[in-house]
Amino acid sequence: MKKLIQFEMKKIFAKRLTHAAVAAVLLLAVGLEFSSYQNMYAFDGEGREGRGRQAVEIDKGIAEKYAGTLTDEKVRQIMEDFKPAQDLHGMNAAYIYQNATQSSAFRRFSDLEGNWNGRSVSDVFGHETIKIGYTYGWLRTSQDMVKVFIFLQLVIIIMLAPVFSGEYGGVDNIILTSRYGRTKCAAAKAIGSVLASLAVTTVVSAASIASALILYGSNGLDCSILFAPTEFVDGYIPFNITCGALLKYQILLAFSGTVSVTGITLILSAICKNQMTALAVSAALYFLPAVLPVPENSALFKLIAFLPLYNAQFVSLMSISQMGNGLLYSLWAVPVAAVAVSVGIVVSCRVFARHQVL
Amino acid sequence: MELKTIELTKTFGSKTAVDHLNITLSNGIYGLLGANGAGKTTLMRLLCNIQMPDFGKIVLNGKNIVRLGEEYRSLLGYLPQPFGYYPDFTALDFLLYVSALKGLGDKKAKNRSNGLLEAVGLSAESSRKIKTFSGGMKQRLGIAQAMLNNPRILILDEPTAGLDPRERIRFRNLISAFAKDRIVILSTHIVSDIEFIAEEIIMMKSGRIAGFGKPQEIISEIDGKVWECTVPTACAKKCAAAFRTSNLRNADNGETILRIIADSKPMENAVQAQPNLEDLYLFYFERPPKQTEKEL
Repeated sequence: MKKLIQFEMKKIFAKRLTHAAVAAVLLLAVGLEFSSYQNMYAFDGEGREGRGRQAVEIDKGIAEKYAGTLTDEKVRQIMEDFKPAQDLHGMNAAYIYQNATQSSAFRRFSDLEGNWNGRSVSDVFGHETIKIGYTYGWLRTSQDMVKVFIFLQLVIIIMLAPVFSGEYGGVDNIILTSRYGRTKCAAAKAIGSVLASLAVTTVVSAASIASALILYGSNGLDCSILFAPTEFVDGYIPFNITCGALLKYQILLAFSGTVSVTGITLILSAICKNQMTALAVSAALYFLPAVLPVPENSALFKLIAFLPLYNAQFVSLMSISQMGNGLLYSLWAVPVAAVAVSVGIVVSCRVFARHQVL
Repeated sequence: MELKTIELTKTFGSKTAVDHLNITLSNGIYGLLGANGAGKTTLMRLLCNIQMPDFGKIVLNGKNIVRLGEEYRSLLGYLPQPFGYYPDFTALDFLLYVSALKGLGDKKAKNRSNGLLEAVGLSAESSRKIKTFSGGMKQRLGIAQAMLNNPRILILDEPTAGLDPRERIRFRNLISAFAKDRIVILSTHIVSDIEFIAEEIIMMKSGRIAGFGKPQEIISEIDGKVWECTVPTACAKKCAAAFRTSNLRNADNGETILRIIADSKPMENAVQAQPNLEDLYLFYFERPPKQTEKEL
């Protein structure tokens, strides 16, 4: 069995298309990280501004100054330090970006002119303790990882669509007439596919996190995601979790998503007569939820959110609710993925074993 | 060992590929002959249990092969037509993979794979990727994979397709040496391959058995029906088209010798000839022309 699994994984990884797809997703992971880094901007309010590395240094310096628990005094101090010096010509000061800390404070506590809007920390965040620090780099990393994981799941589909359907081009004759062709071989194909998708997900996740660690360091992982620049306020996860927890959830959902995609793709690979059909149907099914007219506040969305696309685009799934024990509803994606892959393995193996060569 | 088909039937839409076939095979080499569409490949796939019959069954020593499952497949070796492979695998890797499918242990798999690569003349190419192989080399690799598990039932669909004469001889010798105490079934359009090694011939036509027996017995069915006639070369083509002609051979003096299969003497100068398997094939599978010598 071990030998068969090794051969099945070799078949998956020996294909040029797999090489190209995995290289592309790794390039995307690292490329997006560096692109975000290069495009970062910060102004320290005292005449120093910069992009890329300089912007990160400015943001880190400012974050360090106010680091710790967010208090009303700190809010007012930030508002004072970064109050717009010029006429805003009608622009809303809450949306003006100078640096990550200023944007995080102004988005919640500023009026149109940039004055304190009178709201306290408890008015905005309730009784939550909000730990602040340099979180912007990690939040941008998380945002980039959404695109990477959506593409990653497509790569998994490309890798696995031929697992069964690719055999229907002629090798099925040999496999199905061999002793273990209908039993161990089918199981080895399914297990090899799961291992291959887990391996690629691990490598891609590691590449993203390693790039972020190199660029931003490990500061801010213990800080709350709620005190975040304007782009992470509207429609973002409303729960008080740390950046570290956010990334753990996101990576866990990336794994649950790829495992679900693996289960679904295996079934379609066993059913479809050729690999192109399996690839097209799997990809279409994967993107289908994006066009479903189901609003995120409907009860049905609580189920639809477990589809792999929403595992990759994790914000909607993580925004559904927080359970009594502090864990998020999105954790249910893990048992759902386990069920999806188990069903995928059983169904695909049975379909393959009963396949008739024509 | 006895492999038996009982009322075996398989249809595809309105076409009946195998039609209530009853046949009993015991140890020996069986040559399966038939025109395209006669049902040879379907019969082989049914025997390999990769197609399910619509009616009837196949039994090995009295047990249904579907119920035997893994036990039956462990006795089986199959070369399909066309032979599928993995282009990016080397020849040795491919054989090791098939060995794993057949349940051979690591050491046995390596020994057997290397031995068979040697036997089919591919040992020097064992580490080359299959996508770089010629058609004949792929076919030889296909023959090797079918024999990996030392099968008691070996089914070969068009095994000599793409092989040059030297390779065909090597193949015949390999199969003859291998076939002792086994059932070997091979189909081919190259009648001479069967003529040399098959102990029994199965003639298939429209999904049914048209003839079954030892080569000499079955050939004797057309004793007295094979003729050789000498005609002027100028009208040889016309004469050949008018009769069921198995061969044309130019003579030295501007004349051509036709080998004709006919129930009665086709021409005045016709002399009887010793029938062979090609004549038999033509007798079964080529529709006789309606013209007679007088019409010519």
